[in-house]
Amino acid sequence: MLQYSLRRLIIGIGMLVALSMLIFLLLRLTPGDPIDAYIDPNLPMSPSDLADLRRNLGLDQPLPAQYLGWLQQALTGNLGYSIKRLDQPVLGLVLSRIGPTVLLMGTALAFAIVAGITCGVIGAVRRNSLADLSLSVVALAGISSPAFLSALIGLYIFSVRLHWMPSGGMLTPGEEFSVGDLLHHLILPAALLSVAQAALIMRYMRASLLEVLNQDYVRTARAKGVREFWVISKHALRNALLPIVTLIGSTIGLAIGGAIFIESVFNWPGMGLLLVDAVQTRDYPVIMGATLVIGACVIVVNLLTDITYAVVDPRIKVG
Amino acid sequence: MKRLSRLSVIALGALLSTAAVPALVVSGVATQAHAATLSGGFDVGPGGFQGNFNPLAATAGFTWLSVYYEPLITYDEKLQKVVGALASSYEVSSDQMTYTFKLADAKWHDDKPFTAKDAKFTMGLAMDAKTGSVLAARLKGISSVETPDNRTVVIKLSAPSSSFPDTMTKVMMLPEHALSSIPADQLAKNTWWSTAPIGTGPFKFTKYVSDQYVELAANTDYRGGKPALERVINRYFANPAAAIAALRSGEIQFTYVDSNDVPTFKDNKDFQVIEGNSFVVNYLGFNHDSPLWKDVRVRQAVMYAINRDAIIQSLYGGAAKPANCAYVADQLIPPDIDSYAYDPEKAKQLLTEAGWDQINGGKPITLLTYYTTPLATNVLAAVQAMLAQVGINIVPRAVDAPTYNSIVLNATPDIAQFQLVYAGLQNGPDAGSINVGLNEKQIPPAGPNVARVRMPDLTKALDSALAEPDSAKRDAAYQDVCKVMNTNLPWATLWVANRYGIVSTKVKDFVWTPAPGGGPYQANPQKWSIAE
Repeated sequence: MLQYSLRRLIIGIGMLVALSMLIFLLLRLTPGDPIDAYIDPNLPMSPSDLADLRRNLGLDQPLPAQYLGWLQQALTGNLGYSIKRLDQPVLGLVLSRIGPTVLLMGTALAFAIVAGITCGVIGAVRRNSLADLSLSVVALAGISSPAFLSALIGLYIFSVRLHWMPSGGMLTPGEEFSVGDLLHHLILPAALLSVAQAALIMRYMRASLLEVLNQDYVRTARAKGVREFWVISKHALRNALLPIVTLIGSTIGLAIGGAIFIESVFNWPGMGLLLVDAVQTRDYPVIMGATLVIGACVIVVNLLTDITYAVVDPRIKVG
Repeated sequence: MKRLSRLSVIALGALLSTAAVPALVVSGVATQAHAATLSGGFDVGPGGFQGNFNPLAATAGFTWLSVYYEPLITYDEKLQKVVGALASSYEVSSDQMTYTFKLADAKWHDDKPFTAKDAKFTMGLAMDAKTGSVLAARLKGISSVETPDNRTVVIKLSAPSSSFPDTMTKVMMLPEHALSSIPADQLAKNTWWSTAPIGTGPFKFTKYVSDQYVELAANTDYRGGKPALERVINRYFANPAAAIAALRSGEIQFTYVDSNDVPTFKDNKDFQVIEGNSFVVNYLGFNHDSPLWKDVRVRQAVMYAINRDAIIQSLYGGAAKPANCAYVADQLIPPDIDSYAYDPEKAKQLLTEAGWDQINGGKPITLLTYYTTPLATNVLAAVQAMLAQVGINIVPRAVDAPTYNSIVLNATPDIAQFQLVYAGLQNGPDAGSINVGLNEKQIPPAGPNVARVRMPDLTKALDSALAEPDSAKRDAAYQDVCKVMNTNLPWATLWVANRYGIVSTKVKDFVWTPAPGGGPYQANPQKWSIAE
């Protein structure tokens, strides 16, 4: 197990380096650079000032030199400075964004797991009932609505019309920190972010449980006179949950995509907001830093998923 | 097995309760800001420059920066004349080459006095490209900065420049005692700008929460009087729709809005709509390196073929003025210029005369633009249809600003990518600012004359207007510029649109002017107040 994890970890590090090269190359292939983003075409700046800026930022160097310089610095833990906000080191910016993103995605995941599994079980147990059918319709709508659309609709209903929730941000500006204030800001974006994932989990849970309920050992348990509640909770549910663990791990990537939209609509100060902003301003160091951290998270989550899977189902041998 | 299922029940319970807690606290937390605190989206819109608090590096965002920093001189609230700010008065020598500033009796936010040494130090930073200053090139004409005494600064130029006062309004004064120990090339990377900056303005910097908000507290010692508000908060919005949502839900009291959002606020008694000149002339820039536009009759045909009044009425809701040169201000427009009223028949006739069928005919022409708003998309669709009627087939291509800049500012561009651009350029409050887009000496890589306009008459008219020291004669010189533009058509000038801000009617004595780059101008933030 330890050997397996170590091997996966080393492959992961190799993938991160490859990812950094790929992102570096792709960024340079896009037209425009940070200096071009500096100029508002309505208020142009003098090209000699721009040339000075370019030189000061090292953007006049050849590409391999720029990449090697970046890599050398990155290995020492220095990801450089944001170009748009020169007074902010990239590492500090990225680290300050991990917390809010993890909080948002973690809460959304918790919502999604609870709602998805509960509804999935209801759907399977009361198969083809009115409850099952209506949940399926809701799930279908949930899967098909893109995050930015549900975010805008949610924002309009709960914030603009009903005034129940703040329209954005993580804390009320100018107020002292309080957990209540944080939760107040968290609940709407987290709930909206969880919609698609909850729907997906529900559908898989329902299918998986139905399959298990048809197995011989379930019939045996019923035949032995075990009460239906225990048949489902003790015998069927545990086995039906196995594929769900993998599913949850593999939807983390999906959730990151959704989080980018949600964060930018709700101004949630996380990695997604940082990344969108950096791409718009061609802020290379920030894009590199944020991508690397997100990449590292996905690799770690996948590793953890595999390990969890092995723990939950001892039949799976890893080595 | 038993232990595990019990654990999962506990875990499920815990998750359920975390989901329930927020629902309980929701009703208890107020969303309204404190009284005596004004919150706004001060950097939203084209005048904003979100996230950077270094005035040396700011090309825009002066609406906010000037709440805590001050320049020596600034525009008045109507952007009509330059008045003193940190300089209580200033004098210009008769040859327009020596500017003498008498400094006001002001203090920095840390109680140290503001002196002529600070002003000289700031000028040194702004003139030095190593500091990341975006003003360095514009200040190249300075030959010396002298401080005969503690309260006087004398700036000498090597040649008269009518744009010098305009540039000086953007030089925010910085404290020598706080910054002199930082090497010039390290200054931009210093955390001082976003953690502990000090200025001389009516509010002091207290807190910045990365990409969320900046909080300022009243500077009770302000020389212009104690501010009425206790705090001013500038909130950042990644998405303009989010700023409007925050305004409508009462979380902020002010933001910039696009003209299409104005109707939803116009009849709402809780909000006041502020309307003003954008000073940005929108135009179709002919790429003069392309053989398509060599014949002036083709360029005239483009002007005649576009029904600008119809577009202004139906798409801008009337909130724009047609432009027949770069300007729309009365004093800059000679009385006898052509108004190019909509006349598609005349356009067709001009194209036939010019032999358009041989020049290009119906082949598609790429029109490049960095405007990606729904309004711009509609405008271009209308322009495309109108030009198609006379036989000019344009295909709009909207890209983001960095891509646009990288294509058009390229020293050896691919003409096929932008035979035509739809763009805007600031034409005021200093009428000279249009020079960079039209002067032959500003063709890339030297400057941003992206349409590659090579018109000796125009260059001469611009040069003499810029060098004209007398303001009345200068207006006449700009009229010459307008006349040449109107006749030679380096661009098909379209219109100058209005800009809008929305402020809550609870806010009193608030001043916001839709200025290019956000100003600066006399906004008097110390007088702003808010009703409970």
